[in-house]
Amino acid sequence: MLIHDFLEEAAQKNALLLVNPYTKLLLGLGSIVLVLFSPNSITPLVITATLSITTIFLAKIPARFYVKLLSIPLGFAVFSVLAIILLTGGGKELWSFSLFSVLPLSITTHSLQKGLLVFLRIIGGMCALFFISLTTPMTDLFGVMKEVKIPDLFIDLSMIIYRFIFLFMEKTHQIHHAQLMRLGYSKPKEAMRSYSMLFGSIFIRSWDAGENLINAMDCRCYKGKFAKMIQYNPIEIKSFCLVLIYLTGITVLLVMTMNYSF
Amino acid sequence: MDSIIEIRNVTYTYPYCPPAIHEVNLTIRKGEKIALVGSNGAGKSTLLLTLNGMIRPQKGQISFNGRPISYDRASLRTIRQKIGFVFQDPDVQIVAPTVWQDVAFGPVNLDYTEDEINSAVHTALHLVGLEGFEKRPPYHLSGGEKKRVAIAGVLVMDPDVLILDEPTSMLDPAGSEDIMDLLDELNHQGKTIIISTHDVELAYPWADRIILMDKGRIIASGTPEEAFSDKEMVRRARLKTPILLELCQELRSRGMKTPDSLPRTVLDIIRIIEQDQHGAIRLSDNGYGTIHVGDVDQISGPQINAILAGTSCDTIGVMGSRAKICARQWGLIPDISYAVIDKCILNAMNGRTSLILTTGGMVTRVFERVTTFNQINNRSIPVRALTPSGTEGDNS
Repeated sequence: MLIHDFLEEAAQKNALLLVNPYTKLLLGLGSIVLVLFSPNSITPLVITATLSITTIFLAKIPARFYVKLLSIPLGFAVFSVLAIILLTGGGKELWSFSLFSVLPLSITTHSLQKGLLVFLRIIGGMCALFFISLTTPMTDLFGVMKEVKIPDLFIDLSMIIYRFIFLFMEKTHQIHHAQLMRLGYSKPKEAMRSYSMLFGSIFIRSWDAGENLINAMDCRCYKGKFAKMIQYNPIEIKSFCLVLIYLTGITVLLVMTMNYSF
Repeated sequence: MDSIIEIRNVTYTYPYCPPAIHEVNLTIRKGEKIALVGSNGAGKSTLLLTLNGMIRPQKGQISFNGRPISYDRASLRTIRQKIGFVFQDPDVQIVAPTVWQDVAFGPVNLDYTEDEINSAVHTALHLVGLEGFEKRPPYHLSGGEKKRVAIAGVLVMDPDVLILDEPTSMLDPAGSEDIMDLLDELNHQGKTIIISTHDVELAYPWADRIILMDKGRIIASGTPEEAFSDKEMVRRARLKTPILLELCQELRSRGMKTPDSLPRTVLDIIRIIEQDQHGAIRLSDNGYGTIHVGDVDQISGPQINAILAGTSCDTIGVMGSRAKICARQWGLIPDISYAVIDKCILNAMNGRTSLILTTGGMVTRVFERVTTFNQINNRSIPVRALTPSGTEGDNS
């Protein structure tokens, strides 16, 4: 439940905070594109390794926290990859089984290959996404959004959402604690009741918060505008070039290993 | 003093409730420090919300600068810029994801140019002592810091009147004192300040005028000494007598001679006791302690540190937010940050030397205060201005 909190917290304190967000976005998004284009497992493996090292050692994100974060998509990845391995065919059959005599399941060399590739693409892509979200706080991304001319309405809404997520998270925690202290989750039936109460009161609170927000904005002469902050360090030639070299290197690797089927 | 806000026969009732405020009449003068005191549900917040048009009273009229408030959008915006309102809960008021964006909220909506926005936000953050916090998200701030952001978000529009609903609730004592010192400083710059509170100890020494409220009505209005002396009124408002006043009343009932003016600070009460018991002050062996006054705009950190190393200063007091920032930068840990002058006079009477760091106009205020004190009480506490060269100009 607190993962979001920690993600943003980590981003606000990471060692690459002051690097220009465009540099970091280029590295993250570029890596995602390359991972998606890779025909075999080599590129995703290299990207996973390099970006993890960057995140842990350059951005100084605690390794344990990073692994814990990665284990979330890992769970999803394992299940979807299992389905791919069991359901797709082609190549030499290694193992087969017919479930309830209507659903034939089999593992073949091709399905294994495909499963592995999808798995590594997911992990590589997640590493790139986590690199962005662990090094670039939302507050910087709002500035970027403004600069790339995303409509104001969208940015304003996401800023309000961003602001309120933390308030509601805190409230949820307080209520949850208060319920725990009075043994609200001791039995399944109790837990069900407590959860419904929790969600109900959070709903009412968000309603209230909405009204308060309007009042607070009116009190400060609101007429439809939100201040945007576009204020970050200029693009550093050195780090920007490093990112470019890295991406070029990976592209070269991708092209050179095009014919490997691993 | 001219009146700035006039409230005439104002009544407001929330649906299905008894009137929250009933037939309220009140005149607020320019440059006043007013504390609205009353129990929970006395109608303080409702009354404050009517002042900037957030609540439209069902009966009665409110005028600002002699003109009745009208409730169309354009005039409301003007009123709300001139009368700034700081909510009790800063989480309600802070709407933007970073400190800078939140403080810039008002100016952006008032169509300031980009340069104006930047300089206004810079000044406001400077005033509340939050420079360097521009990029911080609000959930990373402590309660006191959030409160300061909320105040900066209103100050940035340069209002004439500043209204604060329970400015010190949810703050620790040191945080409250910082906020009250900031309000003093703003008042010194000419802003009218109205706060609501039920902390009598806080309101008593701070306010020029106390307004006691009970069940939606104003039951007493006057100087803090007057308002809190009426025991019946204090009881009706479900408050308590400030401890200093109670002490004075108890001393008086035991036959101690007390002057007609009631004490508002510890300094006053010490004076009363000493005058009655000793006739004159008990002086420590080395006489009065000196009060050094330094202007942080004219002296640099190393110079202060050098002077401190040369003389023996028992206490360092810091007045005003700019001086506080400087002190922090120079690695000085202030012993006093609220009611500084009084505490330094107390120290001086006890033979201890103190240093007050402050800015511009406040330097003169220190001199005036100590000189008046010396004249009234026939004392000779020395005050000296610190000069950059380290040699001190005598000015007592």
